[in-house]
Amino acid sequence: MDQFLVSLMNGLVYGLLLFMVSAGLTLIFGMMGVLNFAHASFYMLGAYFAYMLQDAIGFWGALVVSPLLVALVGVVVERFFLRRVHRYGHAHELLVTFGLSFIIAESVKLFFGNYPVDYRIPAALDIPAFSVGGAQYPAYRLLMGGIAVAMFVLIYLLLTRTRVGIVVRSAIYKPRMAEALGHNVPLVFMGVFGVGAALAGLAGAVAGAFYTTNPNMALELGVMVFVVVVVGGLGSLEGAMLASLLIGVITSLAVSVDRSLADLFALAGAGDWARSVGGLMTLKISSLSATIPFALMLLILLVRPGGLMGEKD
Amino acid sequence: MTGPILSIRGLRKSFGATEIMRGVALDVHTGERHALIGPNGAGKSTLFHLLSGHLAPSAGEIRFDGRQIGGRSPQAINRLGLARSFQITNVFPGLTVFENIRLAVMRPYGLQYAFWKFIDHDRRIRRETERLLELVRLTARASTLAGEMAYSEQRSLEIAMTLASDPKLVLLDEPMAGMATEETQYTAQLVREVTQGRTLMIVEHDMDVVFSLSDRISVLVYGQVIATGSPDEIRNDDRVKEAYLGEEVSA
Amino acid sequence: MKTAFLCVAAGVAALLALPFLLSQGLLNAAVQMLIAALFATAYNLLCGQGGMLSFGHAAYFGVGAFATVHAMNAVGGAGLLPTPLLPVVGAVFGLLLGSIAGWFATQRTGTYFAMITLAIAELVHSLAPHLKGLFGGEAGVSSMRMPAWGFDFGSTTQVYYLTLGWALLCVALLYLYTRTPMGRLTFGLRENSHRLRFLGYNVHGLGTAVFAISAMFSGVAGGLQVMSNESANYVVFDPSLSAAVILNSYIGGVKMFLGPAFGAAIMTFFGYAVSDLTQSWLLYQGILFVLVMMFMPTGLAGLPGMVRRLVQRFGFAQVMPLVALSCGAALSLGAGGVFLVELLRRVFSQDYRAAIVAGNDWPAVTLLSRDWLPGSPITWLVPVALLAVGAALAWLARRRRAALEAAEAVDAAAPTALEADAIVKEGLA
Repeated sequence: MDQFLVSLMNGLVYGLLLFMVSAGLTLIFGMMGVLNFAHASFYMLGAYFAYMLQDAIGFWGALVVSPLLVALVGVVVERFFLRRVHRYGHAHELLVTFGLSFIIAESVKLFFGNYPVDYRIPAALDIPAFSVGGAQYPAYRLLMGGIAVAMFVLIYLLLTRTRVGIVVRSAIYKPRMAEALGHNVPLVFMGVFGVGAALAGLAGAVAGAFYTTNPNMALELGVMVFVVVVVGGLGSLEGAMLASLLIGVITSLAVSVDRSLADLFALAGAGDWARSVGGLMTLKISSLSATIPFALMLLILLVRPGGLMGEKD
Repeated sequence: MTGPILSIRGLRKSFGATEIMRGVALDVHTGERHALIGPNGAGKSTLFHLLSGHLAPSAGEIRFDGRQIGGRSPQAINRLGLARSFQITNVFPGLTVFENIRLAVMRPYGLQYAFWKFIDHDRRIRRETERLLELVRLTARASTLAGEMAYSEQRSLEIAMTLASDPKLVLLDEPMAGMATEETQYTAQLVREVTQGRTLMIVEHDMDVVFSLSDRISVLVYGQVIATGSPDEIRNDDRVKEAYLGEEVSA
Repeated sequence: MKTAFLCVAAGVAALLALPFLLSQGLLNAAVQMLIAALFATAYNLLCGQGGMLSFGHAAYFGVGAFATVHAMNAVGGAGLLPTPLLPVVGAVFGLLLGSIAGWFATQRTGTYFAMITLAIAELVHSLAPHLKGLFGGEAGVSSMRMPAWGFDFGSTTQVYYLTLGWALLCVALLYLYTRTPMGRLTFGLRENSHRLRFLGYNVHGLGTAVFAISAMFSGVAGGLQVMSNESANYVVFDPSLSAAVILNSYIGGVKMFLGPAFGAAIMTFFGYAVSDLTQSWLLYQGILFVLVMMFMPTGLAGLPGMVRRLVQRFGFAQVMPLVALSCGAALSLGAGGVFLVELLRRVFSQDYRAAIVAGNDWPAVTLLSRDWLPGSPITWLVPVALLAVGAALAWLARRRRAALEAAEAVDAAAPTALEADAIVKEGLA
């Protein structure tokens, strides 16, 4: 039971982290119709910038400045790259972001080497929060979750309760109409792109210290983030939250399940046969934990492509 | 074939809370040329979408050639003998005019999955394509990319592609939009010729064309047919005058 | 048309002669180049011709690879088929997986289609390490080429000709495909799949068939690689192979039939040739890709055609300076960029950082067999100057091009002599 609780909490925290990165991605897709392949690269840049700044301005200073730097990168990407190829269509924009993600990853390897860097939680924060079943639960995990929840609340309130938020939402939903009404839609695009990037950067700055900070973290997280936005519904913030938590919890719980399909067959008395078949039958759920999100994504794409909370097809 | 080739009863279509088709009833007799007119936003293109399978009805039934076609897929409906052209030009912009028509011609010859023969060697296809090119006066533009042609030429291409499948019922959605007078006259004559032995349903705003070309006219207003009849009957119908001109115009 | 045929014939002749011109090491690179070119051409059937952007094509390459390696080991090591026929196994399994995956993927279009292909590829990628019976775990599955038909297939030269034969055959088949009804319909899919429906075509079936054929030839490429390397490893399902084929295809140019093959060939060959000289090859590839996507959407293979069209419009004398300026810009920017990247690579490397002693000047970095001091401004001035010169040349080229177009527009609008005469007469009357 305690193990289950720990897995659940870990899953929730991981899911909240996923949300921080996918929130920006889903908003950008809803607004511009472009799936920004480079979004997970913003996550990685956040971690690396924080690592660089940590010695100069301290951990908390780095947590504030790093997302701002990443926001700058995001704005540059939108203004000087995406806007230029907008006329060639969505597929072209997608490919440009794909190329940029490649360049960013290789540049990180250039400056920091093709191995993890020593970005760590400051000792002051490396303390246990409480004990669950005899093991200590790290306070930092709670901090990560807390920051993510605070971000969600902030963004939600911003979008629904402020004037800026209304303009942004209208630009996301019907950009030409918003432009016709006199709003500076290109500026909104740039702003949303920047804020989305900043969110991803913050997630990187926070999570990079806990998990590892290495040049492949964009790729590892990036695919998961795509799964989240597709499952949740491209363009839906609530969907991204729901899907992030779902995938975070499922992945986390699956890791602790040591059963396989053969055990399921054993319930019906066909256990030995299933085990003799081998292959997929004897594969433990824990080994498949990385595969489950993709199976879920495929299912959603085929059955309900709008996602759990997106528009119906 | 007795009875109308196309029979629509109680056809409704809503998009969320907005109802576009509000119970359309219409018969199109075999072999007739039937025009569909009405103010902008009346739902003429939506009706074509419902007939051609682009949209599924919310309620009501559509019978074509004795079969229910409401809600069926566009390819199934086309194979049953109903072909349509589009109001907004819907061709293959990066391919030549010849290629555009050839793609339309290939399907009736069953050449969808043929990967074992060369298309250039098929004389029937080539002759048929050239015939259609000649028909819409685009032979000189055969090697031009469809996307680079003038708008009216693209409309002619639309017509050629629609006719390629030898359909029983042809739906033409504003085929002469953007054409000059001479082109309009030629195309009207063309439409008259190629629809011999076929049934035609045409949406057009050019009233001269409508009244000279069609056997019967239906007037669609706010998703309902308010009048159907011969050109003279429609010309003198009070409801039609009111719908088009607003309040009664005291002559 | 005739020039195209002559070019292709010359290319094939050159490829036939390669074993006599290259060392064994470079010949191996040539084998990989052929495989990459075939994979890119197969990929382009789906992407450039069919208009369906697939992000997970490595899955079909990999399935073909593993099927072939198991076929090589079958029958107690003798092989299921004679060695030269083994890629057929790759084709069959590529076709199988491609049919299933394509049936699912082509139910959606655009971004959703791309996401489905990515999900399928990642599904295979995450499953593969766990299915050790099929994919062999970390060490992979290895095999040996068996002699057949009088050849022992031991030397690289024989492997090269085998690969060349298959690559030429498949590319020829893919080209002939474009001249069939289904091949023309594939272009229709790209141009307007919506209209195809209304012309009576089963667009889903068509898309699935195109996907399956593309996967089939990708499987052949995978099989050829396994036969060359005599082993298969699940890293083949890595996203990096799917990424590589996308980069190669677009750098070459997806609108031309041989564009992707050309892009794959030069990228692969250069990748091998410079792998000793630089660690930053992938970075250069990424930069080239983004530059092509932004400034040369027709790809590198489309450049000769573009120049020819310019000459037709503006005449040789006007266009040559433009070409010279552009080439100069490209060379200068390229040189400056490479210098900068290599400098940074060395300055930020682990060895170098270990060599820095606090308080002293930073030690020199060796480039082009000269020593450059990072502390000295000249070291940084060189790349900056090269980049500035390149940028200036590019700007000049742009201005010239705009001037040519403006002059053309004025010419078109200006009256002819007769018309001018008539205007004057009218004015006087």
